[in-house]
Amino acid sequence: MKFIAILLLAVLLCSCGPGTRSAVVVAGSTSVQPYAEVLAEEYAKRYPGRDVDIQGGGSSAGIRAAQSGTADIGMSSRGLSGDELQMWSAEIARDGLAMIVHPNNALDSLTPEEVRAVYTGRVTNWGELGGPEGRIHVITREEGSGTRGAFEDMLMEGQMITLKAIVQNTNGSVRQLVSNDASSIGFISLGLVDDTVKALQLDGVEATGENVTNGSYMLFRPFIFVSEGEPDGSVMQFIEFTMSPEGQAILAGEGLVSSGEVARR
Amino acid sequence: MKNGFKDKLSERVFLALALSSISAIALITVFIVIQGAPIIGKVGLRDFIFGMTWAPSQGKFGIFPMIIGSLSVTLGAVVLGVPVGICGAVFLAEFAPAAVRNLFRPAIQLLAGIPSVVYGFWGLIFIVPFIRDNLGGPGLSILAGSIVLAIMILPTIITISEVQILALPRQYKEGALALGMTHWQAIYSVQLPAAKSGIVAAVVLGIGRAMGETMAVIMVLGNAPGIPTSILDPVRTLTTNIGIEMGYAAGDHRQALFATGIVLFVIIMILNITAQFITRKK
Amino acid sequence: MPDKFKIEKLSFYFKDKRVINSLDLSIRANEILSVLGPANSGITTLLRTLNRLCDTDHDVRIEGDILMDGKSIFAPDISVTELRRKVGMVFEVPTPLPLSIFDNIAYGLRVGGRIGKKEAAERVEYALRTAALWDEVKDRQHIPAMSLSGGQQQRMCIARVIAMDPQVILIDRSCSGLDPISTAKIEESLSQLKERFTIILAPHNVQQAIRVSDRVAFMLMGSLVEEGTGEKVFGDPDDRRTSDYITGRFG
Repeated sequence: MKFIAILLLAVLLCSCGPGTRSAVVVAGSTSVQPYAEVLAEEYAKRYPGRDVDIQGGGSSAGIRAAQSGTADIGMSSRGLSGDELQMWSAEIARDGLAMIVHPNNALDSLTPEEVRAVYTGRVTNWGELGGPEGRIHVITREEGSGTRGAFEDMLMEGQMITLKAIVQNTNGSVRQLVSNDASSIGFISLGLVDDTVKALQLDGVEATGENVTNGSYMLFRPFIFVSEGEPDGSVMQFIEFTMSPEGQAILAGEGLVSSGEVARR
Repeated sequence: MKNGFKDKLSERVFLALALSSISAIALITVFIVIQGAPIIGKVGLRDFIFGMTWAPSQGKFGIFPMIIGSLSVTLGAVVLGVPVGICGAVFLAEFAPAAVRNLFRPAIQLLAGIPSVVYGFWGLIFIVPFIRDNLGGPGLSILAGSIVLAIMILPTIITISEVQILALPRQYKEGALALGMTHWQAIYSVQLPAAKSGIVAAVVLGIGRAMGETMAVIMVLGNAPGIPTSILDPVRTLTTNIGIEMGYAAGDHRQALFATGIVLFVIIMILNITAQFITRKK
Repeated sequence: MPDKFKIEKLSFYFKDKRVINSLDLSIRANEILSVLGPANSGITTLLRTLNRLCDTDHDVRIEGDILMDGKSIFAPDISVTELRRKVGMVFEVPTPLPLSIFDNIAYGLRVGGRIGKKEAAERVEYALRTAALWDEVKDRQHIPAMSLSGGQQQRMCIARVIAMDPQVILIDRSCSGLDPISTAKIEESLSQLKERFTIILAPHNVQQAIRVSDRVAFMLMGSLVEEGTGEKVFGDPDDRRTSDYITGRFG
């Protein structure tokens, strides 16, 4: 009995050493995740044998994982704050945020005040915005979502999103809901807008990639890779691939926008 | 001597196995309570249970809207599912010819075996658009959740009620018929009242199942954390509150979700004890 | 006396097993007929066929006919519920409804339509008196029937049938398990009852049949062996099997 226990312990200890993970572990925002997965795939094709393991869990969880060492790289879809600012970070791209409505919706543009009024629940009818009468079905992401956090930071000015808003927990389901419900409004990643929904102009500015890069469309969030301390070895190789023209082209192809400035610390 | 030893050994082994399953449950309970209790202490039990605002990012942890959500969706499921279930049980026990009965019973068992996520998905594809296009509102609503849950608890109610009715002594029905009652009169004057406590226990079990459902309803309720004003409004239940936010929660937020779990635990325990009490009273 | 029932070559098959074998029997109005015999002789089946309670059994085949007042009870235009109101039945165990004593007995009265409170009270009282239960429950008619003793419940069931104002009362071993006093009270009321009703009784033992019957029919294994007046069958039976059964040689 005792012998078996000691044997088990020995095996466990041996397997806990470093160097058993050959893959680079990247974890965090589910918004960044699909793009990181494409990057990882192309990276592995380019450099066979270099595996990158992409996991979700949310921006906050990813940053924490990077801090604790559980992950090599943390993915965040929101700006860093507090002690997170001490970490090494690189903005790999920008993700525009689009306000979407049903393609048949009469409106084409909203002002930030109007969006705020709708999302706080002050305005409840499309008629108040100049459209035909009809109750507005407000859709938001769940608390803790990076996308929601970005939306709140950029548009809500500290006011609370109405408790009556429908909550969905992925970009995809928000888009699907809006495409099916003619009375609804929601927000998703700009890169995920397709012809099943209509992206509203903000203050008359089209929601496009160029307008995000040149800053005229203000609704975007940064996609950031963070790491505890300066990354090196295989981890740095992956990050460099991401920041290279090739990597950036991949991201652009997926609908992301290149950063206005490359911030690297 | 040897036989005595074997007996004692097997007794010890069975005891150990039984204890381990009980201790697993106990451990989970203790874990949930330890994780959730601190936040209840911080917020205050009354403010937690009766607080109207759930906004973790602002430190507000009131779960009353979710309690209303759970209760209203479950109530809707009961209102829709129980009459249909009891009628189904009566049909199977009293009216169905053997061929029909042999078709329906396995079909109902099949219904019970469908995973809840499939129900939820079906609800999203069929029920939600139907409500949206014909009754108004976003379709994601208490009504959608109630319909999905009603269908999910049907097998429980039908099977148990049918067994209860079939278990009644024949004289109950025959005494009524011999008085000149029609078949239907005999059923609702005599058989259903006699099977009442068993049927009520079945309903309570169905309620317990409905209250504990997460996957089936998370896709059709809309998950708005506000207090609903009509059955066409989106709503959030205690279970979906945990389901939706667990992935992203940390610190106080996560503790609050565990605390929601404690409340759920208590509610379902009360329901189960009630069911046992009712069946024992027989 | 006219025939109340005429049973003509009745055969009853349950799952292809013959339970009643070509039975011919006449039952006169206003008499007490005992149908005697050992277990599995088809007696209960016969009683259940007289009020067509056999309709609820599955895998049943009936040959022959039963005429009540000259008309077949199996005719397509016969209402079964009507038949059962005319041919009431008291079972081996009491079958109270989950209601008060009063409501139990008044139930049959109300099923046909509305009935005035006064009339209902009068008919319930009559029924309870005739069933020898009135003295015991007259002051508590609205307590739950289930709270009565077995013997009282059984007398209530008899009262319930009486209140329906039937023409025939079928009594299927209803005194089994009752104390002698209750049994005596019921047997006493039977002689009163036959003035208004025809009574067909499956007694729970031979002695009861001897005490109360006008006429007796002895059945064995689904066939009618002998029938006649009480004095004849008990005093000087024609068939050897009859005397063997009555004297307890077999049971």
